Amino acid sequence: MPILILEAILLIALIFVAMGIIIGQELLPGVIIYCAFSFIAMLLYTIIGAADVAFTEAVIGTVSTVYFVIAIKSINRSHKK
Amino acid sequence: MEKHLHRRKQRKKRIIAMIILIIAVAASTFELATFLPTIGELNTPANSYISEYYIENAVEDTHSYNIVTAVLADYRGFDTLFETCVMFLSGITAMMVLSTKDKVSKSIEKKSDDVNIFESDIMDNAFRIIIPIIMIYGIYVLAHGEISLGGGFQAGALLASAYLLDKIIPGFRTVLDRITEEFALVVAGVGSFIYLSTGLLPMFNGGNFLEYGKLPFGSKSIETVGYLHSTGILLIEVGVTICVAGVIIAILEVVLERTSFDE
Repeated sequence: MPILILEAILLIALIFVAMGIIIGQELLPGVIIYCAFSFIAMLLYTIIGAADVAFTEAVIGTVSTVYFVIAIKSINRSHKK
Repeated sequence: MEKHLHRRKQRKKRIIAMIILIIAVAASTFELATFLPTIGELNTPANSYISEYYIENAVEDTHSYNIVTAVLADYRGFDTLFETCVMFLSGITAMMVLSTKDKVSKSIEKKSDDVNIFESDIMDNAFRIIIPIIMIYGIYVLAHGEISLGGGFQAGALLASAYLLDKIIPGFRTVLDRITEEFALVVAGVGSFIYLSTGLLPMFNGGNFLEYGKLPFGSKSIETVGYLHSTGILLIEVGVTICVAGVIIAILEVVLERTSFDE
């Protein structure tokens, strides 16, 4: 039962983090929050028992964050239009 | 002022749309969730036929030390092979869409480029310490691909992320600096080719495609089948690692090529 509660908390946190990315006006903090999204997803995969997928998610979440930061730097714009 | 007001109005609209969307998706999910079985239930088709077969016969069929690896690389070897090909394809596509023609200006720019995203000495020095550790961990994940979690994809991403960090630190130029996107993509293709040729090798020895137990190395006694299988898994994972790392580096180089960090 406690594992179910933890899972529910993580799922709700996932929804709120996703909402935060969409609502927020700044792009760079959005990327950092996306990193948190990927971390919560990783924890969920671990709870389900898919450690392999969790590992992939952790690594790819890190790499894609760097990609996003470079892309934001390349368009020279920190706000959403 | 008017623009600001307009933006706020738009934002309000967006939030309302989002809330409606969340409610709709949640309602439909709750409706559908009643049909779905609970996680881990024994009577579901997925748990009662195929898993049972894998658990009972995987070791006998494949001589693998790990059932997950047996499923990934033996029963679904074609799957993994074409995943690698899809990675390679995505690298080619990114290069086709993003790469620029004027190589002359690029080569001049290349000499003085320090990507330098955030100027911070502490971060730079921390990265400098972390890079070799990440690389060693990548090799560890690759070498332990058969018996523990991880494998080719993760190892490739780790090695590529070490390269990423190396690229980010200003004034820290190594041999890796000379990798161009074309070279990285060629290396990725070589990775796919290693996988494919590892699959083809057993066919010269009377085996099937991707049947690692019949690789043409060493003797063919029953005791060595497990070792041969491990060798085959290691070879295909080296291929996947090279492919993934090459594609990630190629995409990074292509994106950086279009980026000017002067301002």
